[in-house]
Amino acid sequence: MRILLIEDEVKLSSFIKRGLVAERYAVDVAKDGRSGLELAQTYQYDLIILDLMLPGMDGSEVLRRIRKENSSVPVLILSARDSVQDKVSNMETGADDYLTKPFAFAELLVRIKALMRRGPVNRASTIRINDLELDRLSQQVKRAGHRIDLTAKEYALLEYLMSNAGRVLSRNMIIEHVWDQSFDGITNIVDVYIRHLRNKVDTGHDSKLLRTVRGVGYTIREGAEA
Amino acid sequence: MNFHSLRLRMAAWYAGVLALCLVVFGAAVYLGLAGYLERTLRSSLRNDAQSIGEKLLVDVNRKGESFVTGEINEMAPEISGRFIRITRADGSILYQSPAPINQNFVPSKIATLRNWGSQPFSVEDSHAGVHSVLIEAVPFVAPEGNSFLIEVGASAREIHSTLHGLVTTLGLGMPLIIAVAALGGILVMRRALRPLDEITRTAETITSRNFGERLPTIRTGDEIERLTTSLNRMMSRLEDSFQHISRFSADVSHELRTPLTILRGELESLTQYDHLSPAALEVVGSALEEIARLTQIVNQLLEISRLEAGQATREVAVVSVGELAISTAEQMRLLADEKSIRLDYLVSSDVAVVGNASLLKQVVVNLLDNAIKYTPQGGSVELLVEIQGTKAVLEVRDTGIGIPAHALPHLCERFYRADRARTRGSGGAGLGLSIVKSICAAQGGELSIQSSEGQGTRVRIEMPRVNGRPQSPDEDSSREYLRLEH
Repeated sequence: MRILLIEDEVKLSSFIKRGLVAERYAVDVAKDGRSGLELAQTYQYDLIILDLMLPGMDGSEVLRRIRKENSSVPVLILSARDSVQDKVSNMETGADDYLTKPFAFAELLVRIKALMRRGPVNRASTIRINDLELDRLSQQVKRAGHRIDLTAKEYALLEYLMSNAGRVLSRNMIIEHVWDQSFDGITNIVDVYIRHLRNKVDTGHDSKLLRTVRGVGYTIREGAEA
Repeated sequence: MNFHSLRLRMAAWYAGVLALCLVVFGAAVYLGLAGYLERTLRSSLRNDAQSIGEKLLVDVNRKGESFVTGEINEMAPEISGRFIRITRADGSILYQSPAPINQNFVPSKIATLRNWGSQPFSVEDSHAGVHSVLIEAVPFVAPEGNSFLIEVGASAREIHSTLHGLVTTLGLGMPLIIAVAALGGILVMRRALRPLDEITRTAETITSRNFGERLPTIRTGDEIERLTTSLNRMMSRLEDSFQHISRFSADVSHELRTPLTILRGELESLTQYDHLSPAALEVVGSALEEIARLTQIVNQLLEISRLEAGQATREVAVVSVGELAISTAEQMRLLADEKSIRLDYLVSSDVAVVGNASLLKQVVVNLLDNAIKYTPQGGSVELLVEIQGTKAVLEVRDTGIGIPAHALPHLCERFYRADRARTRGSGGAGLGLSIVKSICAAQGGELSIQSSEGQGTRVRIEMPRVNGRPQSPDEDSSREYLRLEH
């Protein structure tokens, strides 16, 4: 899988590249719009990550030119602008996703994965982590064979965590996925729900699955110690 | 009525000056008329005296004094109200007219004269009646050499009554004229100042939200047009600096976001390494938490500046406040349950406003979050949505710790904290209420806060209500936007 990253901030592009390489992607970095466009026109990429504020050629212009020749490559926009109008206008130009700075690397990764497996997604109806089992069809959760009763929000939260098992999800990602942006950054709602979920899922079991990564977020992981 | 209004003051000045002019004019007319009437009367009296001398006394020696007396009596001075007296050189009286039938004066009371010269002269006798008697005395020397003094007089009563009539006319007429003029002045001023009222009205409606609007300029070339033009220019300058400020704050936020992304990314990638000690992880985590807080502040500042620049209010729809409030509160119920706080709704279902649903939702989230945060275990929080007249009211009441009175006016200021120690632990940046206020202002609503320390707080938002088809306040899908032209 080959990804083109067009980003002028060297530090930003280097940590993104590092992270993506660790996830076994091949990453090319372009430092300005013009060279990025050249690379995009020369090679066949599976995904392009494009910053909007670029020297030389504006990100929106790069996107327009890429779309003129190659309509199928997924393009993920990175931008500091987060107004609805900015998002809408870039989506109209042909962006597939839009990520606002600052973002958690995990979120970038989740979105990249989602864009790469476009088309019919093969989602297993049952996710299993250790002895915790979640059935998407019946929306039932069992731990060690015993059924756990969850509220709708708790279920949505657990499903999100389990379908990204092993990955640390930030509060922000969780809020936007399970609630919506209105709750962003204001409440400690995620922590409260995680606490409740932990009570229902982990209490009374030796291996604790739900883990807090301080400053980063939450994750569900197999074989984690308490 | 406003007694300081320009209209009334101008009319009062105008009436005052007019009254002064009228008084001066009236006095001039009075004095002029009085002089004229006296002169006319005296000249007629003198003519009479002279003609008595030339026509009758010429013949006094030839025809005898009784002839003269008889002739004068023929003229019936008592009927014409004239006083006639002819005095001989030795002071004895040859003739004196009887009392006039209008009883204006008593002839015998008029003092007799001696030692007159050869020139005619005027006398005014004020003892013979209520009104003085004006007398013209003309010395006459008969051809035979004996001399006489002919006096002809008349009461000043008629002059006085004419002048009195004039004073009455002026006294009644002048106030009437002044009143009519003042009224006319007020009407004229009102007409002239009507554009000012319009300017005031329009200026009142211009807020930060429709800063682009300008006062209507009427091309009359007068002072009002100049005033309007300079007001409009002033507003343009204000608008420029206003936009400059919000652009500046947006730029600042943009510039902060990229380094924040790098900081966060680098620190997060540290946590992936397995060889970090728990203590080091703790440090990194703490740094990440601060980055999260900084990020939140930047986001909120950017949001406020966007709201103030009026960008966020373009996409609005008819929103059912009740449904929105309940669905939002339900998502936060667990927060209340955690602290055993009762969360009650008093919501009427048919309250709708035109607004941006996600912004309104943010308001509800903020208010409920604050209410729950500052209400101790076992308290209660009430969410109230109702109609009051033309207003849709959203109110959140809690039985929390309340806000000290001195802090109330500052609550919506950015970064303001009623009590530093209290809120720091709760993690907020002190921007929540600023955002709520900005959202309210952007949506034409009003925010008011009542609180008594130790008893609780009421936060109330009033917005203009609409009668319309409320749309589902849930997710963004298939929402039909109503674009308002600003």
